[in-house]
Amino acid sequence: MEATLRFARARRERGPYTMSLAERLLIARLKERDGQAFDEIVQLYGDKVFSLVYRMLGNRHEAEDVAQEVFITVFKTVDGFRGEAKFSTWLLRIAANQSKNRIKYLSRRPTDGGEIDDALQAPATAGTPAPVLQGHIDGPDVLMEAAELEALMQRAIAALDEEHRLLVILRDVEELSYQEIGEITGLPEGTIKSRLHRARMAIKEELDKHTR
Amino acid sequence: MDHGQAQSAFSDFVDGTLPERERLEVEQHLAACIQCRTELTSFRRTVGSLGKLKQAAPPSFLPDIKQQIYRRSHGRFFAPRWKLFGRIPFEWISLATIIAMLVYYLAVLHGTPSGVHPAP
Ligand SMILES: [Zn+2]
Repeated sequence: MEATLRFARARRERGPYTMSLAERLLIARLKERDGQAFDEIVQLYGDKVFSLVYRMLGNRHEAEDVAQEVFITVFKTVDGFRGEAKFSTWLLRIAANQSKNRIKYLSRRPTDGGEIDDALQAPATAGTPAPVLQGHIDGPDVLMEAAELEALMQRAIAALDEEHRLLVILRDVEELSYQEIGEITGLPEGTIKSRLHRARMAIKEELDKHTR
Repeated sequence: MDHGQAQSAFSDFVDGTLPERERLEVEQHLAACIQCRTELTSFRRTVGSLGKLKQAAPPSFLPDIKQQIYRRSHGRFFAPRWKLFGRIPFEWISLATIIAMLVYYLAVLHGTPSGVHPAP
């Protein structure tokens, strides 16, 4: 309820959004259940949605499942899409909500909740714990391997609570504008900015620990 | 401006959304403070590294979703398409049915009944 009010307020402040002709045509075809329009939508937005969900969950298998559900939901509920926001914004809002729901669901499962991919875990040498987790890499000039850096970043993101995680993903991974982030989350710009800064600083601290 | 104030403005500074006056203050502080310059370098690197975390969907993504939709809707979800003419509009099917019924009705009404002879 509160979220709905926030969306309404955000929309009023920014004025109504007008869809482009191409966007309108594509949505119209989607509403007619045109299979080709569906293919186009998935090709256009598949990577964006997958990135968001994967970075939220940190687990490829779960991410594939949730990302698929996002597009199935989009297709099932597109009749309710009235074009008040950009289609991509609407789509990413669904992706964000479904990611959060899955995180909640996984955290309630006692056995394997919220696991991070094996591939994203720091490389462990036989018998010893993952060195990058506790050891420091000597000197700031040492370049981390790309895979190692990615694993470190993913763990730093995963350590954030999901609200901060979502903001940092929307802004720095997906590179969305503050307006789009506001429409997706329903948060005012000031809140987005201050939370984003906190999240970035926390990730920076993690990165510094392992690279200084 | 102290270290804390300078560093709390890093996000806006990097995003280019800091008002002119504050931006100059941060720049002044940075020019005089090596500690904050080091922090800023690291901050920039963090934001840059986050930008590299984009992840492409797997190649099987689209076929997998379509298979799911097909399976759950028992193949009824996507509108059927004719190879040459696209989708047949529902109105055409109704119209064709009405015409067929009309033709049948007229044929029954006016056709010579065969095998039926008038009573003598
Ligand atoms: Zn300083």
